[in-house]
Amino acid sequence: MKFNFWYISSLAISLTIIIPIFTVFTSFFEDTSNYFEILKQTFFLEYIFNSLILLIGVIFLTFFLGVGSAYIVSFYHFPGSNFFKWALILSFAVPPYIYAYSLFAFFENYGTAFTILKFLFGEGNYNKHIPKFSGMFGLILSISFSLYVYVYLLARSSFLYQSQNLIELGKNLGFSKFRSFYTIILPAARPAIVAGLSLVAMETLAEFGAVDFFSVNTLTTGIYNAWITFDDLAFANRISFFLLLFIFLLFITENLSRKKARYHLEAKGGFKKKEKIKLNGLKSFFAFSFCFILFFLSFLFPLSQMLYWTIKFPENFFDLEIINLFLNTLYLVSLSSLVLIFFALISNYGNRVSNKKILNILSTLSISGYAIPGVILAIAFITFIAWFDENFVKSFGVVSIKKLFIGSILGLVTVYFIRFYSLAFNGIKSGYEKMNICVDESAYLLGYSKSKTFLNIHIPYLRNSLLFVVILISLEIIRELPITLILRPFNFETFATTAYISASEDLLEAAAVPSLCLIVIASFFILLTSKYILRVDNE
Amino acid sequence: MKKISISALIVSLFLSTSLFADGHGEVNIFNARHYKADAELYDKFTAKTGIKVNLINGKSGALEKRMIEEGSDSKADLYITADAGRCGAFDAKGMLQGGLTSAAIKSAVPKNFRTNKWVGIAKRARIIYYSPERVTGAELSGMTYEGLADPKWKGRLVIRKSSNIYNKSLVASLIANNGKKATAEWAKGVVANMARPSEGNDRAQIMAVAAGEADIAVANTYYLALMLSGKKGAEQQEAAKKVKAFFPNQDGRGTHMNISCAALVKGAPNKANAIALVEYLLTPEAQEHFTNNTFEFPMIGGVSPSPLVVNNLGLDFKQDLTTKVSTYGKNQAAALEVMTAAGWK
Repeated sequence: MKFNFWYISSLAISLTIIIPIFTVFTSFFEDTSNYFEILKQTFFLEYIFNSLILLIGVIFLTFFLGVGSAYIVSFYHFPGSNFFKWALILSFAVPPYIYAYSLFAFFENYGTAFTILKFLFGEGNYNKHIPKFSGMFGLILSISFSLYVYVYLLARSSFLYQSQNLIELGKNLGFSKFRSFYTIILPAARPAIVAGLSLVAMETLAEFGAVDFFSVNTLTTGIYNAWITFDDLAFANRISFFLLLFIFLLFITENLSRKKARYHLEAKGGFKKKEKIKLNGLKSFFAFSFCFILFFLSFLFPLSQMLYWTIKFPENFFDLEIINLFLNTLYLVSLSSLVLIFFALISNYGNRVSNKKILNILSTLSISGYAIPGVILAIAFITFIAWFDENFVKSFGVVSIKKLFIGSILGLVTVYFIRFYSLAFNGIKSGYEKMNICVDESAYLLGYSKSKTFLNIHIPYLRNSLLFVVILISLEIIRELPITLILRPFNFETFATTAYISASEDLLEAAAVPSLCLIVIASFFILLTSKYILRVDNE
Repeated sequence: MKKISISALIVSLFLSTSLFADGHGEVNIFNARHYKADAELYDKFTAKTGIKVNLINGKSGALEKRMIEEGSDSKADLYITADAGRCGAFDAKGMLQGGLTSAAIKSAVPKNFRTNKWVGIAKRARIIYYSPERVTGAELSGMTYEGLADPKWKGRLVIRKSSNIYNKSLVASLIANNGKKATAEWAKGVVANMARPSEGNDRAQIMAVAAGEADIAVANTYYLALMLSGKKGAEQQEAAKKVKAFFPNQDGRGTHMNISCAALVKGAPNKANAIALVEYLLTPEAQEHFTNNTFEFPMIGGVSPSPLVVNNLGLDFKQDLTTKVSTYGKNQAAALEVMTAAGWK
């Protein structure tokens, strides 16, 4: 009986999450319209080419920014190094699309840069001399400045756990600092960095808002266009198929790297606490400048651009129903967190008590949702519901289930669930992994029932993990755009959708207020957990 | 116990929204026009009639898709979007129904701007902007859309991407007038004349002329008025003054006009309310609100455009009233095809 319960709930979760993949794969062999032929020649190669360029550009830049900053803050002491350690995570609060709005608005003809130059030097035709960041280049910058945080965090924790012995080895061999970094530190951190870069790559391929804003044709927008402009769901699913192949490669890379990303040497007792090197003079100035410029460009710049607009066009501030948007966001966040945590707990607990191989496989399957771009998830979900409704529900004469799932909170939360389940599952899993199974056995010996063990021992023990998971989910949902956009009900907006809608109507000034609110709330969440994210320091 | 109470909480959280009353006093709009002015008008409508206006905002393509997938379960009553081609194409998919035939609507809106399924609620013209410093009157004399392909504009023209719906509708109207073959040649000429590959929105094209990147631009009428109004800041207000508007095809069929349209969705649960809302949007009060805030041209007679539009763009121009706006939808795919084939980004 017990086995059945865990088995069924894990199966149900996996089945829900597998829906989009199932839909995409079954549509692969369906006939596409004749647009496919026209498109194949003109757009398809462009989609692939642009996606590759974007991917390479972003990976290169996030590697440079993430590893560079992580190296500097982990190994050196300089003015502000303690501040930058956590301040550099803040750029995660600025989603790529908001960065894109800022970048565009600052550098456009007669934009903010022009205003500043005019204020400083008087009238003049500055437009010619202001660089223009639109299209692919702007897109690469927007995504990189927001996502380098993944690489930074993973590289940093890996650096911090690197044995001092390794570093001393370099010194003894007479290596220069650069050579030590290049031949010892970097290779040792490689799995962590690859894991970070794979996450960046997945997010880049999934990015919708910024790509749409700069109207660069990538595979993701290609899917969207095939569905919307060409009315060709089968073609959309076919592009999705290619994109998913791509992503699964990354997904596997990330998983393998993560397994290898052990942060310490096998030898016991060899771990010496690392001493940070104190930088002086010019070197300390360079270290400070690198971090400050990065912090400025990735966080202060978009924040000030949005703040500047909010002050310059205050009427937009009063027009926006901020409280309402806040409540909507809060509502989505709390509901999704509850559902996600509830199921992730069941699944994790099931794995712990029954220890069946099949459950393990099912749960691995169920974390794949995170790899699938939101646009594909939303489209595949609608397709599936419409198909299911048509072929099963209606033939039984039951009322339609479309109303229940399309344009409803239930549908929205279901798709969030598919997308973010891995966050919840892995977060709780890592909490459980630190808790020895002996704890359970002792509890049983003391006469605790299984449920009592779960409620009175597991839950309090997992409290920190749970808090962390809630905040991660909140951050993701606050920034989430395509799923919310496609599936939300009437009169229901979030900060993200309001910003997107204003921006798509060429009303970037009006997009500033919701963007600013989004950044502030997300920053607040990040600060709340910065201790936990950076916890390696405390050990 | 805890589990049960958590599930109860979850269920109640869901129920709190899914029990939305399908009441009588409401109208559901799938809305692709996101002007503040529109929202204000809906509020006024609610104050007047007691009918609540529910909105789902989004880009037209995504909204259309959702209505199609929802099918007969859709709550959509009205679909409001800023392009005639959209309404036409949506109609062609069998997603609209007749009913916008009341005397109030028929007397207010000229025939070529409506069918019984969708009705224009405001007009805009897609025109040429030029730099008076670099473009002479002689060069512009008798200028037409067709003339944009003239080699004399080589490296001097900016226009936005081919995926843009306003461009699709403009090119669709050219196909309707000159045929697909001639338009395909025309598109090649236009691409050859571009000062840079297409990028940015309509306003960015106008600013490119102001900043000296190009001599002529194609953009909709209300953007210049928007910039001149100061709503985009002092710099853009100054920039707008460096650019002049020119209405093409004055010696022939007239300037290309496009409309924002309201379409009656098939299976609309609140059909009567939807028609009442459309009728309200066509009253002088609502039309004046449009012209003064979105700087569009009024759909009905007896209302004049915003002074900003009249003084800076001129009112006395010949509108193309012969090309039926319903052809924009019909020729949309062909338009995209000729532009793409010409290498129009």
